[in-house]
Amino acid sequence: MIKIENLYVEINGNLILEDVSFEVKKGEIVAVVGPNGGGKTTLVKVILGFVQPTKGKVLIEGKNPKDYVKSGKVGYLPQKSSYDRDFPVSVFDVVMFGLINTSLPYKEKEKKVLEYLNYVGMQQYKDYSFGKLSGGQQQRVMIARAIISQPELLILDEPSTGIDVVAQENFYEFIKKINKEKGITVIMVTHDIGAIGSFVNKVVGLNRRLHYLGDFKEFLQKEALDKLYGSEVKLLIHSPECFTCQHFNIEVKKH
Amino acid sequence: MNISDFLTVPFLQNAVIGGVLIAVLLSVLSLFVFVKKWSFINIGISHAAFGGLAIGFFLGINPTLIGSIFAISIGLLIGYISKKGQIHEDISIGILLSFSMALGVVVMSFSNNYNSDLFAFLFGNILTITYQDIIIISSFSIISIAFIFYNLEKLMYCCFDEELANISGINTNFLYYATITIIAVATVLSIKLVGSILSSAMIILPAATASQIFWRYKSIILTSVIISVFTVLLGIYVSFEYNLPSGSTIVIIYSLIFFTAVIFKRVFLG
Ligand SMILES: Nc1ncnc2c1ncn2[C@@H]1O[C@H](COP(=O)(O)OP(=O)(O)OP(=O)(O)O)[C@@H](O)[C@H]1O
Ligand SMILES: [Mg+2]
Repeated sequence: MIKIENLYVEINGNLILEDVSFEVKKGEIVAVVGPNGGGKTTLVKVILGFVQPTKGKVLIEGKNPKDYVKSGKVGYLPQKSSYDRDFPVSVFDVVMFGLINTSLPYKEKEKKVLEYLNYVGMQQYKDYSFGKLSGGQQQRVMIARAIISQPELLILDEPSTGIDVVAQENFYEFIKKINKEKGITVIMVTHDIGAIGSFVNKVVGLNRRLHYLGDFKEFLQKEALDKLYGSEVKLLIHSPECFTCQHFNIEVKKH
Repeated sequence: MNISDFLTVPFLQNAVIGGVLIAVLLSVLSLFVFVKKWSFINIGISHAAFGGLAIGFFLGINPTLIGSIFAISIGLLIGYISKKGQIHEDISIGILLSFSMALGVVVMSFSNNYNSDLFAFLFGNILTITYQDIIIISSFSIISIAFIFYNLEKLMYCCFDEELANISGINTNFLYYATITIIAVATVLSIKLVGSILSSAMIILPAATASQIFWRYKSIILTSVIISVFTVLLGIYVSFEYNLPSGSTIVIIYSLIFFTAVIFKRVFLG
């Protein structure tokens, strides 16, 4: 479905991505991992057609990203950005945005919005001002907005940031479900490798260059982790307050 | 002066109709000025229009036409610079504003009636609205307002998050430049009637006031229109009754309503 060949991205003279190549097949769940500043968000923006490659080729279903995205078949959850507290929309309005180009009658849309709000546990907030919610609550609403249009390709940039454990588990269950039932392809940038390991088909380890490409089991081997995170990984694993790393720890021990 | 004069004396009739149309148009646009924090867009564009009006006067070509062309070009340029340079519109406005204003002043200095034209530019004269003005304003207002209401949800989506709107298949660039163009033309048309100062008040204060009381865009847009129409009608009436300049009277009423709303919010809405 997605073909990336020898991708280079340079911004203001800095090489952000260097010689990255990989493929995503239809119906796969792909995790993109790597340290902060490793170029994960940049990669996502290239796939969405917002950032132009300096060199190399990116094709989605044989089309260039801009043209593919225009068809409205992509769901996207941006890395958490802060929204204006005074922005005059309700939670309902925001999820409704996700259906803007579907030709359902209003009543049906309304029903769907409520269903998805219910799904992320935000139905009782439907008439609240979106800007006044907490960060995690906003993230849940944004998840509902991203998935409501039932896209063919779902791109999630750190979806679990700021949401609590229960919501995270629900969310991952949902990703599994839509992937299985509807064959939706999922690309998920995450630091929460432990929690998703059981269901990803492919791991892309990115730190400017592609440091790892393969399945999750192999990825957990010390070598792959070291290669990707360098000395940082040791530091991370021993840090008790780091939620993500506790997962790391548990999973690493298991294998 | 009697209230019934407003319905029977032609120049007063024109003032009321023209004033109300401009009030409705600018108050609808004020929602976007509010959410995009474009407080200076109108000032920037009216300064650009000033350059155009000055050149129009000087060359003896229809000043409104040249002014509009100037305003639209500067509006699109503001949008282009902001988009490409990823900087806030107010900064692009600052850059372009001084340039076109200076250009206007230089051109004006060649003409003799510099002062009277400048005064008209700043304060306008709602009593000089002609039948022809009404036709132009009403056709433009109807088309623009229809466009905005038809695309309201999409426009809000773009203001909320342009990248997401783009991914949902919305032509965000088209809507962005269309909105700027509408604001530019509305600014030029309103300058002739109410002057650049009142025009700014009319595009900033309605949504700023309405948002003190309501937080959802549909309520804000509706309240903005009501506030604006009420203010303009009251302003025209008071200015005639007490023989005050109409533009300034309207600005004062706008400001009073705004401060009342701010206090109302603090006292009743916490
Ligand atoms: N628009 C930009 N202008 C300049 N530099 C940029 C821009 N966007 C990204 N970068 C740089 O590219 C590098 C990679 O950034 P990116 O956001 O892709 O990292 P990331 O892997 O998503 O990190 P994180 O885990 O913190 O989200 C960073 O060094 C960043 O400074
Ligand atoms: Mg990122």
